[in-house]
Amino acid sequence: MENLSQTGNKNNEYIIEIENVSYKYPGSDKRALRNINLKIKRGEIVLVTGRNGAGKSTLCYLLNGLIPHFFGGELEGTVKILGMDTKETPVSYLSTKVGLLFSEPSSQLLTSSVEDEIAFPLENLGLPPEEIDHIVNKILELFELMKYRKHPPYALSGGEQQLVALATVLSMNPEIYVLDEPTSVLDPIGTIQVIEMFRTIARMYNKTFIIVEHKLEEFALLTTRLIVMDNGQIVYDGSPYEILTKKAIELENLGLEVPQIPLFAQKLLDKCRQGVESSLKLPLTIEEGFEWFLSNIYRFRSCFNSLLSGEIAVNVAKEKSLEEHVQVRGEPVIEVDHVTFIYPSTNTIALKDVSLKVYRGDFIAIIGHNGSGKTTLAKHLNGLLKPTKGVVKIFGMDTRKTPMIELIKHVGYVFQDPDKQLFTAKVIKELEFGPKNLKLPQDSINKIFEKVINELGLKDLLNENPFFLSRGDRQRVAIASILTMDPEVLIFDEPTTGQDPKGRREIMEVAKKLHKGGKTIIFITHDMHLVAEYAQRVIVMHGGRIIMDSTPRNVFKMVDELKKIKLKPPSITELFLKLEPQGLKVDKIPLTVEEAINILGEILKGD
Amino acid sequence: MSEYYPGTSIIHRLDPRTKFLIFICLMLIAVFIMNPLILLGIDIAILLLYVVAGIPLHRVKGMILGVIPVIIMFVILNIFVIPVKNPTIIGYIGSYPIAWESIRAGLSGGLRFAIFVFFSRLLTMTTSIGELVSALTKLKMPAEAAVAIGIGFSSVSILIEQINTIKEAQMSRGAPVESRNPITKAKALISVIVPSIYLTILRGLSIAKVLESRAFTYNPSKRTFRKIVKFTKLDYIVIAISIGATLILIIITKFYHITY
Repeated sequence: MENLSQTGNKNNEYIIEIENVSYKYPGSDKRALRNINLKIKRGEIVLVTGRNGAGKSTLCYLLNGLIPHFFGGELEGTVKILGMDTKETPVSYLSTKVGLLFSEPSSQLLTSSVEDEIAFPLENLGLPPEEIDHIVNKILELFELMKYRKHPPYALSGGEQQLVALATVLSMNPEIYVLDEPTSVLDPIGTIQVIEMFRTIARMYNKTFIIVEHKLEEFALLTTRLIVMDNGQIVYDGSPYEILTKKAIELENLGLEVPQIPLFAQKLLDKCRQGVESSLKLPLTIEEGFEWFLSNIYRFRSCFNSLLSGEIAVNVAKEKSLEEHVQVRGEPVIEVDHVTFIYPSTNTIALKDVSLKVYRGDFIAIIGHNGSGKTTLAKHLNGLLKPTKGVVKIFGMDTRKTPMIELIKHVGYVFQDPDKQLFTAKVIKELEFGPKNLKLPQDSINKIFEKVINELGLKDLLNENPFFLSRGDRQRVAIASILTMDPEVLIFDEPTTGQDPKGRREIMEVAKKLHKGGKTIIFITHDMHLVAEYAQRVIVMHGGRIIMDSTPRNVFKMVDELKKIKLKPPSITELFLKLEPQGLKVDKIPLTVEEAINILGEILKGD
Repeated sequence: MSEYYPGTSIIHRLDPRTKFLIFICLMLIAVFIMNPLILLGIDIAILLLYVVAGIPLHRVKGMILGVIPVIIMFVILNIFVIPVKNPTIIGYIGSYPIAWESIRAGLSGGLRFAIFVFFSRLLTMTTSIGELVSALTKLKMPAEAAVAIGIGFSSVSILIEQINTIKEAQMSRGAPVESRNPITKAKALISVIVPSIYLTILRGLSIAKVLESRAFTYNPSKRTFRKIVKFTKLDYIVIAISIGATLILIIITKFYHITY
């Protein structure tokens, strides 16, 4: 472990002391935690990050005693919370000191109204009803949930549900808050809601916070300490600023989503080793990046001039040809013509006069908040929903007049959660399910199978039971089970939710490969980095309407419009848009760090 | 109970135990009375209670229309399956005789079924789970069990949503889950049921984790309830009326032999 900060007020008491802890889940040979040593003082706000499977959640469960009391398994070493050994203290008592918030809002809401939910732990603790009412009212005020007090939690948005769960944790007034990926399944608005509330609580109460998150850019500045885990171990532990600026490239290699500004600065420095002192203070935020870049630009000029620019020129040229693809369009494969859709059960208008043409060879990202109509629109594209008004034509077939079985031969729909579709005991059976339903001829099935199995690398898994595979493999099986029906258009509905940054890219790489192989791809996502990296066309939805439909570059240029609906372009794009009025003219705004460096090379070389 | 319809009507204000008692009274009536007209009257009376509770009837349109095929099924069953002594033949299907008694018995069976459906739905729509849990503990159910029942009811809508998504996912793979052929449909439903069970187990495990983390096992026997249900004057009045009306109705029908 590398310790990058030497802060140490020895007088402060440690309220969490983890010594030489290793842990194995029951039935597993692998140690989920390996020799962890960690001490946390009262009042620290600690951000923990790392890939899925790095041991982050395991660490959370360690803190309130779920490990070992609930999970069992083999625990070595000692964990002390406020001086209490967790091995000897029951979870029900520890949980009054350590409040644990889980990532999935819907699976931690237990009752039928918001106020019942917040009261639940207090009732468990046996508080008198008057006192419970008093606390519940206070918390409802603080969270601005008064108007929802009688509402059932499931009727709220994801962000609000997570706020209710956080309020429930807060009601016990714990000393330590442990938030295990509190925003991983939320949309951008939900994420903002949770961050804002967290900020308020952190300011109001001098408590200790442990937050597990992948969203480093959003959380880094709110925290006082960053811990990076990998493979059951702590690999970095120090101030967020130090680690994110100095170790940006190392973190990227660990498969994490490093904030773009420090990554950009690091990569730029790496390219221009000579002539730039290594002691340069690196930027973390867009504002810092702006200052840093302007005051250091002279250092890079000579460097880019002397660099062999051949590689850069090729990269830029390749990029351009991709972008032009959008202009040269194939024929439309799906046509949505003035479609309005009203959910009959709730009478809500989910789509308002939406028109859209999907062309052969498109790679489309649909973005927007939950409730903006993304999924409703997508479900119109394979006939799952039929328009209330207007017409949807799939390969010329009117969805209202054509049986769904004809439509799904052309358009495949991959649902978010593989758990919601896999049901057989063998991968091969799962792959056969679709084609058998469609009654495809055997010889064509064989041909498609071979292709799909190779494309998705499933050869060794064919006889495995899908239920025992890893999340990533299950996702691949789910995608393959759609591909075996050989559709020309593929819809991915939030394929990457709940996955770590590297896992997300693995899935998007599959989509990219399929696109290269001739498929038309439509994906729904909240992850703007994926949009920037993969999409060739972006559709922004808001309030049941399409409000933008253009290339990623054009869409992300509209920073103010996007911010109005609480969407945010990649930081690097924002940085370059800010630099433009300062005289840094670029033909095209970069969307990724790689692009930024290449583009910069072009400009500076030419100067 | 996932469909609690908040309100402050008389029906909402009743103690859940009072509503249980009314339910028992209705069961007694349904056992003793077979006259379709009286049963129909009770059905309509329950529907009027929805109006009293402030629940618009179109919210329960599906339920009301849903009992019609059940009533028809009861009638058909009675005509073809259950023999009648001294039948009054009123017509023939082909050469099969139709007895008035069969139709009458079928109607009363269906209408009795409707009483249960209508009233239990009214009960769930006007009783919050918090009240129900509290009432169950008052009826001497252990706190753990009562809370568990509450969590179960709260999960219903999440499970329904889950099943719908699974169904859509399988329809997108061509599974004939909406086929008219019952055998095809039943086979296709396996693809919906298996993931549902899997996800329900996962949800159960995560709820267990959450319960521990929310101090549920702290000291269940000393657990308090924020909402404590209490009998009010209104409850006593309603209980008295319900018992009285039930007895009178049963006695009158017996005494005047208007079973049918």
